[in-house]
Amino acid sequence: MYIFVNALKNIGRKKGRNILMGIIILITITVSIVSLCINNTTNSIIDDYKLRFGSEVTIAPDMTKVMSISDILSGEGSKVMPTSPEQYLDFAKSQYLKESVITATTGVAGDGIKAVDEDENSNIMGRAVLSGAGSSVEDDYIMPTMNLNGNQWDEFKEGYRKLMDGGEMPKNDNECIISKELADLNNLEIGDKIKLKSSIVSIENNEQKIKNINVELTITGIFIDATEEYSSPFKISSLNRRNEILTTIDTMINNFGSMMRVNAKYYLKNPSMLKEFETELRAKGLDEYYLVRTDEAGYQKVVGPVEGLRKISLTFMIIVLIFGAVILMVLSSIAIRERKYEIGVLRAMGMKKNKVALGLWIEMLIITAFCLILGFVVGSVVAQPISDMLLAGQIESAKIAAQQGGMMAGIALGGPIEKELIPLEQVDVSVGMDTIIEIAIIALFLASLASIVAIVKVIKYEPIKILMERN
Amino acid sequence: MNILSVKNVTYQYEGAKKVVLKNVNAEFSNGKIYTIVGKSGSGKSTLLSLVAGLHVCSSGEIIYKGTNLKDLDRDHYRAKSIGVIFQGFNLLTNATAVENIMLSMSISGNREKNKKECAYDLLEKVGIDRETAGRKVLKMSGGEQQRVGIARALSNNPDIVIADEPTGNLDSDTETAVLNILTSLAHDEGKCVIIATHSKKVTSIADEIWGINDGRLLFVKHS
Repeated sequence: MYIFVNALKNIGRKKGRNILMGIIILITITVSIVSLCINNTTNSIIDDYKLRFGSEVTIAPDMTKVMSISDILSGEGSKVMPTSPEQYLDFAKSQYLKESVITATTGVAGDGIKAVDEDENSNIMGRAVLSGAGSSVEDDYIMPTMNLNGNQWDEFKEGYRKLMDGGEMPKNDNECIISKELADLNNLEIGDKIKLKSSIVSIENNEQKIKNINVELTITGIFIDATEEYSSPFKISSLNRRNEILTTIDTMINNFGSMMRVNAKYYLKNPSMLKEFETELRAKGLDEYYLVRTDEAGYQKVVGPVEGLRKISLTFMIIVLIFGAVILMVLSSIAIRERKYEIGVLRAMGMKKNKVALGLWIEMLIITAFCLILGFVVGSVVAQPISDMLLAGQIESAKIAAQQGGMMAGIALGGPIEKELIPLEQVDVSVGMDTIIEIAIIALFLASLASIVAIVKVIKYEPIKILMERN
Repeated sequence: MNILSVKNVTYQYEGAKKVVLKNVNAEFSNGKIYTIVGKSGSGKSTLLSLVAGLHVCSSGEIIYKGTNLKDLDRDHYRAKSIGVIFQGFNLLTNATAVENIMLSMSISGNREKNKKECAYDLLEKVGIDRETAGRKVLKMSGGEQQRVGIARALSNNPDIVIADEPTGNLDSDTETAVLNILTSLAHDEGKCVIIATHSKKVTSIADEIWGINDGRLLFVKHS
């Protein structure tokens, strides 16, 4: 106890030296707290995004490879084997997956029912597209005015769509739900049957061929839709989200087979399983012209600035720690003449070496503990503005890099259309338990470092030698 | 009764050619004042350092209460059995007089609950009042510092008090006061007081006078 009391008194006895030491320790600790706060927060953000971006696998044609096949350009048809809906479903059974979402969509027209905003313009525009392709079969072609979507329930989970009372989600084949607007327009109720038709255009021997498909679905529910009607300026009924008829994926496969657009999202149990998953897909017949990949670009776009911020804060902390440690060692060496005499007196009085060393160490620990508390206060106040400032710089750099990279991307081909990703513009920096533990270790290290020179003297010299030198 | 025996002690500083103490023999008893006289550099302080356990003799042995110092924990010996009054005081200069005494008491393992009061009492005994006792050592005169040094040497209630030139820096009045304290320690409290000195005034209070010449300790006379 007296060692602690003496250490405490010693701090007050040598104010000048201890204040100087304290300032160095405070600066080092504050910078470390800010850096560790940023580092730990960004680490958890990065880990989270890594898991999200790294685990979501998309399968899409490798357009660079596809375009390199001269047969396509010469019009002889593609050598690329399309992936069938059955294959997509088979892929979903992989042991490497934690989850998979397979959705399908196809354009349809009503047989006896009208789509919302359906007018002549829609058909005119649609036919214009077909005519532009040089078709001679436009009279047989059924122009889609609506969309039949399989397994697209995201908006219900997100709360943008809600089933009205009395309705049920489709469970069995050939069941569907429709929007309230579509139901009102056609006086449809739950239990009514709707007829839909669709045309599939294929090219055989350089000739377009039309295959018409008719489907009859039972309405099991009507939903209220809070999504935007149109996501583009083109007011074509087939683009109106009120004209989306929602059904099961099995209904889609049974009626349209490979004649529909399938979108499959697979979520790996762990991002590191990508290679094994791809090997399995190839073994299950995935064509070599398909890419199996995670959204690396999206990850870089969103997390890149945060990673830059983490690197800067970590580098800064290491530099400050090194400088702080060196300055503390120098200050300790300068202060040792005075300390040496004190050590000699204490040893001459019979104080054991380990107790003298403990006293010196406790002294530094008390100073460091004080700086630690002050550092936490200062650090937690300045961490957020510093983080914002550094992140703003990183986002700016990322934008410049993206602009330069975008020019190249415009030339390159391939891959699915990238989502509109917004980089993280705000990192909520906070002092977590991991930060507290890390900074406590750093503080302990600094305190030990600052007292190590004196402790070495204690171990090295006999008390009488120190006193004789002084006297 | 002998409390301390010095037997055939030889001492040579590390790396030095000169042998400072040559085959020194002496016996010290409780209740007596011993003075060791000799020229500067004759080895007086070295002998006291050896007795105080601050140095270890090159050969020979120092026996304290029947045990060789080499077999004792020297830190423990210094803390509990010996009180040293240094010529240069060797006090903690940034601490107050009372803090110096209290720290010494703590090091010696004194379990007294009110150490501060004990420290004040000790300081009063050597002529330091409470107000002066609360001042930093650095702001005290040489005489006051020497008294604090004496009080500290007594704070662990040692059997042996060693004083190296205890009056070397003091004026005549203070010297007399310090000598009175040392005499009282030996004759009233039964402690063994060993003093190294040049001063005739100091030797005048001695029960036994020893001289050192060329590293050899010689008995000079009884008082």
